[in-house]
Amino acid sequence: MDVAETISHHILDHDWGVVFNGFRLPVTTHSVTIFTVSILLILTLAWATRKHTSRAGRLVTTLLEEYVSFIRDGMVLPNMGQEGRGMLPYFCTLFLFILSVNLVGMIPEMKTATSNISVTAALALCSGALIVFSGLKYHGFIGFLKGFVPSGTPKWLVPLIFPLEVVSLIIKVCVLAIRLFANMLSGHMVLICLLLIIFIVGGMSKAAGVGALLPAMVLEIFMTCLELLVAFLQAYVFTLLTAIFAGSVIHTH
Amino acid sequence: MEDLLKPDYGVLALTVCNFLLLVYLLKKFAWGPIIEALEKRETQIAADKQTAADARQSAEQLKQELDARLAQISDEAAKKMAQAVKLGEAQRDHLLAQAKVQAEKLIEQAKVQIEAEKNKALSDVRGEIASISLLAASRVVGRQVTDNAADQIVAQVLEEVKGK
Repeated sequence: MDVAETISHHILDHDWGVVFNGFRLPVTTHSVTIFTVSILLILTLAWATRKHTSRAGRLVTTLLEEYVSFIRDGMVLPNMGQEGRGMLPYFCTLFLFILSVNLVGMIPEMKTATSNISVTAALALCSGALIVFSGLKYHGFIGFLKGFVPSGTPKWLVPLIFPLEVVSLIIKVCVLAIRLFANMLSGHMVLICLLLIIFIVGGMSKAAGVGALLPAMVLEIFMTCLELLVAFLQAYVFTLLTAIFAGSVIHTH
Repeated sequence: MEDLLKPDYGVLALTVCNFLLLVYLLKKFAWGPIIEALEKRETQIAADKQTAADARQSAEQLKQELDARLAQISDEAAKKMAQAVKLGEAQRDHLLAQAKVQAEKLIEQAKVQIEAEKNKALSDVRGEIASISLLAASRVVGRQVTDNAADQIVAQVLEEVKGK
């Protein structure tokens, strides 16, 4: 058994091979997962925001309000100020979407779409666009460009600082994508490797395989709990960093 | 494994479209109503808090006014009490002085009356004694004495009586 191939099979995206008029459509396992999660989120939240008469319904609405308060008071307003109020729906969606996609990957037979660099890059692109949009909205084109040069910088340093700051912003956005991708990918790789230990050792000796079963399963449970934590943590980090970067272009040096 | 870092631009574009559409739809059907309800409730709570703070401030102001009024009333009451006590004492002194004067007057009148009564009694006694003495003397002497002689005798007897 090729270990690398097995891991790749469980982690890599699989194209479903849908072609329309000779044009390949991006219907893959991850894109279908993302689409399903989006539909579920829309249906669930649309139901949750209806006026409920039952106690459980009101509890769900209260929970959603608490969630919005958490995003607004914990991430958006402290980093972006009052200017961030208008972008609150974006951050609420971003956190919930990343968290849902992360958690869906924990369900057996489901895939973690956030372990796909294309998916995380798409999310980072959206966040990057939001950051640039924030800068343009509150400072205008020239003001936004001026924001890349810290105040008090000597004029002869500007040609050096400006490209550095632009590259810095691009790197920040890229790092958003790579961080989420790497964390989710590594967690799942570890989980698969732990399971593979049982089969590899069992392939050498059945008795050893049975012996490796218990420690491997204990580690597997521990790593699964850790993955749950990472799922929440990475959604939080991605959303918080987007708010911080957007705040930094709104409230420049 | 090298496919892990190979971006699928189709998936990327689809994810961007999917996510932006999700943001739009959730904003319209979920976050919008929730944020609106949340801000409405927060505004209501802030207004209620402001109303409560205003009410508390006006209550405290009223309390201060009432305290000041109470203090003023207490001062006035104390002043009136002191005035009443002073007036009472003055009236008491006046009544005492009046009573003393009246008592002295009564005592004086009584003394005068006693003196008059005494003099009258003395006069009566004198007359009685004179009559008795005359009678006695007439009987002893067996003759009628003249008025001058009788007066002399009476005076003599009286002197003797006083001497005794």
